[in-house]
Amino acid sequence: MSVLEKSFIKADDLMARNIAGETLIVPIRNRVGDLSSIYTLNEVGARVWQMIDPSRSVNQIVETISDEYDVARAEAARDVVELLDSMESAGLIRSIAEG
Amino acid sequence: MEVVSYGDFSRELHQKVMGERVPTEATIEVTRRCPLTCAHCYNNLPMNDAEARRTELSYEEHCRILDELADLGCLWLLFTGGEIFARPDFLDIYTYAKRKGFLITLFTNGTLITERVADYLMDWPPFSIEITLYGRTRETYEKLTGIKGSFDRCLRGINLLKERNLPLKLKTVAVTTNAHEIFSMKQFAESELGLEFKFDAMMSPRIDCSQSPLGVRLTPEEVVELDLQDAQRVAEWQRFAKQFNGPVHKSDESDEIYHCGGGISSFSVDPQGRMSICVLSHSDTYDLRRGSVREGWQDFLLKVRRKKATMLTKCRACEIKALCGMCPANGELESGHAEKPVDFLCSVAHLRGQLMGFAPPPHGECEYCEGGSKHEELMASVERLRKRDRERAGALQSRNRYLPVLTATAGAGGCSSGGCSSLH
Repeated sequence: MSVLEKSFIKADDLMARNIAGETLIVPIRNRVGDLSSIYTLNEVGARVWQMIDPSRSVNQIVETISDEYDVARAEAARDVVELLDSMESAGLIRSIAEG
Repeated sequence: MEVVSYGDFSRELHQKVMGERVPTEATIEVTRRCPLTCAHCYNNLPMNDAEARRTELSYEEHCRILDELADLGCLWLLFTGGEIFARPDFLDIYTYAKRKGFLITLFTNGTLITERVADYLMDWPPFSIEITLYGRTRETYEKLTGIKGSFDRCLRGINLLKERNLPLKLKTVAVTTNAHEIFSMKQFAESELGLEFKFDAMMSPRIDCSQSPLGVRLTPEEVVELDLQDAQRVAEWQRFAKQFNGPVHKSDESDEIYHCGGGISSFSVDPQGRMSICVLSHSDTYDLRRGSVREGWQDFLLKVRRKKATMLTKCRACEIKALCGMCPANGELESGHAEKPVDFLCSVAHLRGQLMGFAPPPHGECEYCEGGSKHEELMASVERLRKRDRERAGALQSRNRYLPVLTATAGAGGCSSGGCSSLH
């Protein structure tokens, strides 16, 4: 399955906070993420975070980002996939096999 | 996504909100009830205090306040008391706050921490947890707390948290009862347990106006003597002085009476839901049972924060005021007047200034500056401290150990209340 067909689910026990215009992902339980680090998202990253849902494929997220931020689809795909990769590595999201 | 270290993140966020008046820090006193009866405490009440129990905010009221705090952009949250675990529902309140994504610091005496509590905190870790250790020996600890068995319970709490690798720090308040054990507590925390340790000797009267804590308060000379025995502490004061002391220019002078972060980036909520500038400030409070956190922050605390000075005091032109603990809350507690200089704080700041290299030039009618009525007394104290410092250094050198001897002059103060600078 191509990465664009996948969908992701957020780990339980995470909270996104908007503080002074900045979006932070705060792990709230010991088994999620790394409590000594702070994950910050820019505006586009925060929009992607908002859209992460088992019912939405990466493709759909890419389309929305491409439309909303007026960037080429290939560029949006590269950025979104890279962001999702880093989120997955940090244990903030995991992929759902059947998107 | 950027993964940043906590230090970088905190610095950047503080810089970003500087001047914007965002309540990024809040202190919530969940109760003033406590199983200990420490003589120095500014707010403790007995565990079975019926009036306190009856009037404390309920779990539901706490949840509503926490919702509103999160909406306002608060990130750093301090839960303090009394003793936080004196409330049987504290972990429920804490968990609700955790789920809102606050970075939470807990202040506790540790005596009510059981395996169950420690396991729970391991699962829902706080950002930081600070236990106050009142003595290194059972005798001293329990002389101050007034409760038999409390020393062992505190050590049990420390061990339970440490075993679980929770972000624990130890601290103490230096008073006449335990001053002789400050450095053995430091040694215990840092060398035996590998934990960060700090102490503070700046105490205030009780918030109910009782002067009883002053009965165990160290003299200014004793306070500064403790500083001098800790080379790292002296260096920190000197660094702080270099950064914040300096000539007071007319253009810098603000006629506002508050100069801290209270009402700008922080505030407190007491157990009954009264919002104020800080935990020590009780003259101006906003009832969160009758209004919202937003209204309290945007309207009420803004007015409090902008209160203008009504009198010209020696503090106005004092070059070391950034390092002195003098503030409206301390003024109110000590003398009932927000602007009246607190003699104890002034004396400590000037002693530090003389001994650590940043004595201020004469300012206004300051008794401690040259020509003032207490200057001679201050300098005699300075000489005694220098002499004892030389003696200590000599004793150490004779044991082939090195410690810098303070030969120059010079200081500081700072706020010691619960929430001002403890969260990050």
